[in-house]
Amino acid sequence: MTTPAIELAHVEKVYRYFRLSDASLRLEAGQIMGLVGPNGAGKSTTIRILMGMIRQDRGEVRVLGRSMPREQAAAKRDIGFVSEDMRLYGAATLAWHMRFVASIYPDWDAKYADLLVRRFNLHPDQSIKALSHGERVKATLLLALAHRPRLLLLDEPTTGLDPVARHEVLAELMDALRDEHRAILFSSHNTHDVEQISDVITFLDRGRVIDSSDKETFLDRWRRVHLDLPPDVAMPVLPGTVDTSVSGRVVVVTTSAYSAEVHAACQQAGVTIREVQRMTLEEIFVANVMSKRGEMPS
Amino acid sequence: MNSIVRHLILKDLYLMRWLIGGSIVAGLLSLAMMPLGKIFAYVGGVSLICVLIVLNIFLVMTNVVQEKKDKVLLFILSLPVSTREYTVAKVLANTIAFTVPWLVLTAANIVMIDVSQIPNGILPFWLAVLAYLLFYYCSLLAVSLVTESTGWHTTAIIIGNVSVNFLIPILLSRPSVTAHGDGPVAVWTGDILAIIAVELLAGVAALGLAVYLHSRRPDFV
Repeated sequence: MTTPAIELAHVEKVYRYFRLSDASLRLEAGQIMGLVGPNGAGKSTTIRILMGMIRQDRGEVRVLGRSMPREQAAAKRDIGFVSEDMRLYGAATLAWHMRFVASIYPDWDAKYADLLVRRFNLHPDQSIKALSHGERVKATLLLALAHRPRLLLLDEPTTGLDPVARHEVLAELMDALRDEHRAILFSSHNTHDVEQISDVITFLDRGRVIDSSDKETFLDRWRRVHLDLPPDVAMPVLPGTVDTSVSGRVVVVTTSAYSAEVHAACQQAGVTIREVQRMTLEEIFVANVMSKRGEMPS
Repeated sequence: MNSIVRHLILKDLYLMRWLIGGSIVAGLLSLAMMPLGKIFAYVGGVSLICVLIVLNIFLVMTNVVQEKKDKVLLFILSLPVSTREYTVAKVLANTIAFTVPWLVLTAANIVMIDVSQIPNGILPFWLAVLAYLLFYYCSLLAVSLVTESTGWHTTAIIIGNVSVNFLIPILLSRPSVTAHGDGPVAVWTGDILAIIAVELLAGVAALGLAVYLHSRRPDFV
């Protein structure tokens, strides 16, 4: 059995106005996990705890089998990290950054780095301060990928990118995953990006992991069911109901546990199912967040 | 010293090379002025102090405060470095970046006083001032490293700059300095040696405390 890329067990980090509570996650080698959450959900805090940059108050963190933050130097030899707000030295060139990073990582792949320079249309002799936001993100991604890490931790890497640059970055990440032992944790509030590349999706809101599952399971089990409810019939209790809206005879139920049981329950109650709609990841995310916020103590 | 610490030190020294080189050139020009007459000696002396203070402020601002503020620290901490190694590398790189020009200019100052018409008796006073500037640098680096705050950095600069204005009259009011200041020979009294020793030891203590406090921080970004 291979060592998981990431194991977070009951991790807690308390700030004055924010608390990451009881966060538990597991990412296997070869998987891409999308960490989805609104601004301030705790995505960056979680990733920085994984990098050893922030020390958790409670709980255990292991990255590539190393205990964090104690063994962070050893773990980071096999981690590539990119964050939307990460900056490079403005006065230095990309070529200088490439030489600097190459001097640190024995596994630096110069050919792959050159390939990425061409694919991303970067100019190594250009100083970093002259790069656009998109070019800067691609430069940091290049530096993170070219030492061939076993784990990529990407904190909102596509935020602020134009559609073409976003496509290039996501395509490169998919390409990086051809190595079946490599894992990626990818945080974003853009569910479209996450849906495109992730195998596993974790929803985070207000410092809590509210749901985590593989992408197909999410997309399969969440449905919006439109019912025709006759006046003299009581609304049946459908499995996994997270939201119900009524408009005359039409009732729309959002369920997180769509199955034949939903049809059986409706049939038994004498309720007709008019339509069953699949939900996008964004709709699932919003419905999930809103329902969990309702359950949370204020 | 392990490999990653060495790489980080070399990186910082490379990025600060123009500042280091420029301060040495500016400091040597200031020293070259001093033998040209009484007014020039004063102007050159003040310029030398200013060069070292400007070097001090810029080194710490660009290499510690700005690195954190501009989020370059995220890039550095993404490398296979522990937070303790980062702290040690940062302190060593900055210490080298200031100490090298400081040593060059201090040595040049001694030679210049020795070979020029300027009385050698002034040398203990000058070394006490230069040692104070080294202490000032260590203190500013320590405050900025521990607080990583522009506000504290600015406060430390104001206190440091004002303190230099107090230091010179305080030194000149001491009989151990004034009694031999115009003499042809440098007289190293116990008083002046104690002042220099306290300045150097206080600088080392400030840096030691900074390394201790900084590497114990739970959060680095």
